[in-house]
Amino acid sequence: MSVIFSTMSRLFFVLMLVASIYMLFRGHNEPGGGFIGGLFAALAFALLALADSVAAARKALIVHPVVLIGCGLFLAFLSGLPGLFSDGSFLTHWWAELGSTHLGTATIFDIGVFMVVIGGVLALVFRFYEGVEQ
Amino acid sequence: MTFEWSILIALAGAVVARPVSSVLGRHTGWAISLIPLFIFVSIFLHVAQVAGGEVLFAQLSWVPSLGVELAFRLDGFSLLFALLITGIGTLVTIYAGAYFAEKPSGELGRFLSLIMLFMTAMLGTVLSDNLIVMFVFWELTSLASFLLIGFDGHKEAARKSALQSLIVTGGGGLVLFAGLVVIGMTLGTFSFTEVLARSDELVASPWAGMIAVLIMIGAFTKSAQFPFHFWLPNAMAAPTPASAYLHSATMVKLGVFLLARFDAVFAEMPAYGHTLVVVGSLTMIVSALQALRAEGFKAVLAQSTVASLGILVMLIGLTGEVAAVATVGFILAHALYKAALFFCAGTAIHATGEASLGKLGGLARFLPVTAVAAVLASLSMAGLPPFVGFISKEYLFEAQLSSDWNVVPVAIAVLVNAVMVGVAGVVSIRPFYFKPERVSKVHHGETAGLLIGPMLLAAGGILIGLVPAPAAQWLIGPAASALYGQPIDVSFSLWHGLTPMLFLSALVVFIGALIVIKWTQIHTALKSFDHAYGFLGDRFYHGALNGVLGAARISTRLLQNGDQHRYTTIVLLTVIAGLVIAFFAAPSGDFLAGEGDIRISVALVLALTVIGAIATILVRSLIASLVSVGIVGFGSAVIFMLNGAPDLALTQIAVETLIVILMTAVLLRLPSRTRHSRTVSERRRDGLIAGGFAAAMFVALASIGVTPVDLRLSEYFGETSYLEAYGRNVVNVILVDYRAIDTLGEIAVVAIATIAAWGLLRGAIKPLRTKE
Repeated sequence: MSVIFSTMSRLFFVLMLVASIYMLFRGHNEPGGGFIGGLFAALAFALLALADSVAAARKALIVHPVVLIGCGLFLAFLSGLPGLFSDGSFLTHWWAELGSTHLGTATIFDIGVFMVVIGGVLALVFRFYEGVEQ
Repeated sequence: MTFEWSILIALAGAVVARPVSSVLGRHTGWAISLIPLFIFVSIFLHVAQVAGGEVLFAQLSWVPSLGVELAFRLDGFSLLFALLITGIGTLVTIYAGAYFAEKPSGELGRFLSLIMLFMTAMLGTVLSDNLIVMFVFWELTSLASFLLIGFDGHKEAARKSALQSLIVTGGGGLVLFAGLVVIGMTLGTFSFTEVLARSDELVASPWAGMIAVLIMIGAFTKSAQFPFHFWLPNAMAAPTPASAYLHSATMVKLGVFLLARFDAVFAEMPAYGHTLVVVGSLTMIVSALQALRAEGFKAVLAQSTVASLGILVMLIGLTGEVAAVATVGFILAHALYKAALFFCAGTAIHATGEASLGKLGGLARFLPVTAVAAVLASLSMAGLPPFVGFISKEYLFEAQLSSDWNVVPVAIAVLVNAVMVGVAGVVSIRPFYFKPERVSKVHHGETAGLLIGPMLLAAGGILIGLVPAPAAQWLIGPAASALYGQPIDVSFSLWHGLTPMLFLSALVVFIGALIVIKWTQIHTALKSFDHAYGFLGDRFYHGALNGVLGAARISTRLLQNGDQHRYTTIVLLTVIAGLVIAFFAAPSGDFLAGEGDIRISVALVLALTVIGAIATILVRSLIASLVSVGIVGFGSAVIFMLNGAPDLALTQIAVETLIVILMTAVLLRLPSRTRHSRTVSERRRDGLIAGGFAAAMFVALASIGVTPVDLRLSEYFGETSYLEAYGRNVVNVILVDYRAIDTLGEIAVVAIATIAAWGLLRGAIKPLRTKE
């Protein structure tokens, strides 16, 4: 790959990652959310894998994509437990009011979705690229 | 401590068995056996209470909206089963510790973990008062049995037998489930206690016959009754401690347990009892013949177990309080002697490495205590005094003679019991005392762990026979009373006087002795008719299984032949067919109801996507076609946006970008220009199908406006999303809050599908590497 593409991809990587987290957290009130944010983050890593190498992208991700899937699923499951114990209803979310914004276990649930989507897309994309690289 | 906690304690045992085995090694069996022993003692403490006629209940809420409660019931019958499960379970864990002594300790840990899991399931099944909860535990016993039969998973026979038992008992479980659901629909309750109390109502309902049949099929598969009898002998592929526990003493009696429980419910339905007598008798005949033909040590015992289960099913079918006492007495006697005999068989096979009776002999020299235990247990099996087997057989004949049946079941019972005497003689005398030249040395001797189980069980058989009063008063009486529905005064004694039953017993022993003497001749004679017995085995099962596999193979070849053109054609034609049917089914003139003005912006974007689609077909360059497909995709995103669905548009854009990034990676690998791979006539046909699909879709979409859209749900979400879930983006609030459990299910599906595809990709990439 060309030097320009490779250098620019680092910049894009950071920008897209920031954008994806922004998407994730604004999702409750405006277009966005865990699913879209996860897709954007996966795009950032896929771009890095394409411009640099799969190894570099795997290193940037730190954990294995499949581990990310499992952790995300578990996190989403955990976010339902407080409601189960307080109201006897699984996934009834808790909310805390901080000034004008509301924070709740729904956000944790959305982070779980976010992680599952990143892990799911990247598990396949990395594999696919490695197959092509051979 | 209340009794329902015993299930949880057994489960804890299943969890700790493996870690404990890595610390304690070969002593794990002794350590783990403390858990079932503890449960045994804690349940035993309830004996006096239950014998006093009390029924203990315990309840925890589980799914109240469906009427499913974790409800448990301890009466005389479930108490007897719970004591057998934990008592024999204690001995099995000790025995397994010694049996696996030479194996790696991880293997023992895995085995004990499964045994404890099975114990959990068994205790749950017999103690449950809620039918649905009972069914969950019932299926768990099938799963544990599957894992234990397939314990030596590297052997093909073990895998096949495990699958067979799972298909038969799991399939039967589904039939049983249907029966339980119909009960719930008819009576509006899943509580067994309530079903029992309202049995008149159930029997009077039009569904009664169907319920009885469904429950019987479920029970017959589990207890290996004809025509589902074939899986149990094949289950002998399991390690012997598992055979002794699951496939003789406990699990296979669950069908009997269920039939006995429902006998009280269906007391007013004579057909229920009659069916049981007929099926039980058929099973007895078939398995007695098979027992005479069997060669393996365990195989002979397994066939005699099937015969015993047949006897039990027949006894449940008989009416009267004597039949109830006979059923309970036989369950107890059989569990004691059959588990002991399996232990002895396991020790003999373990010591010699030989499983065939024809190759074993003179083992008493090497295994003297085991030989004594085998003889004691087989005397009880043969029904000789002063063993408990004698008393239970007397009751069996008394139950038959006092019933309103004619002489046929009695004759069958006499012959089958004679075969049991023969089997008892053959499995105890021949391998241990006859033909000492067959075995000259053994690999392993007896150890304390291998002896304690058979000795205790055999001693129990003689002790209850000699002093029957306590067992009759505390165990058999309460259990039979629970079955019969009214208190029974059980006078369980060795000597009944000169009765017709005593005469029948003597006849049984006489014929049995003849069978022992003539065993080899009978065996050879029956073996020569091998093909005539094909229908008694699992030929039907294999026929059905091969039929299903063949149908799957044909449909796969038709639908999944690896040709993308074929897949697309099938999908498109199916959609067209579905839509055409819908057009004709709809009231005439009720489609194509487009209204409103044409929006210029949408029309322009649509025109652009149409151009992109046409360009995709026409261009020959790979990059150009990639760009054209991209135009269609991004055009769709814009249309979503124009119609007020920004979330959908964002997702579409992300997916389109992902496709571009993915395709870029393969661009360099593929030829940049391609030639047509389809002939002209094929392309014409493709064009026709594509055109038809487009037309059908157009008409369908244009007709959507005919049905007024119900906006109540959208309005509800719109109004409440900020008030109740503090979010203004209704789409996201639905995903993470209103329907969060759906989303959880969906991401679980995404996770599982991804991991499956990930594994497949790894497999697909490897051969590529080796090629280059």
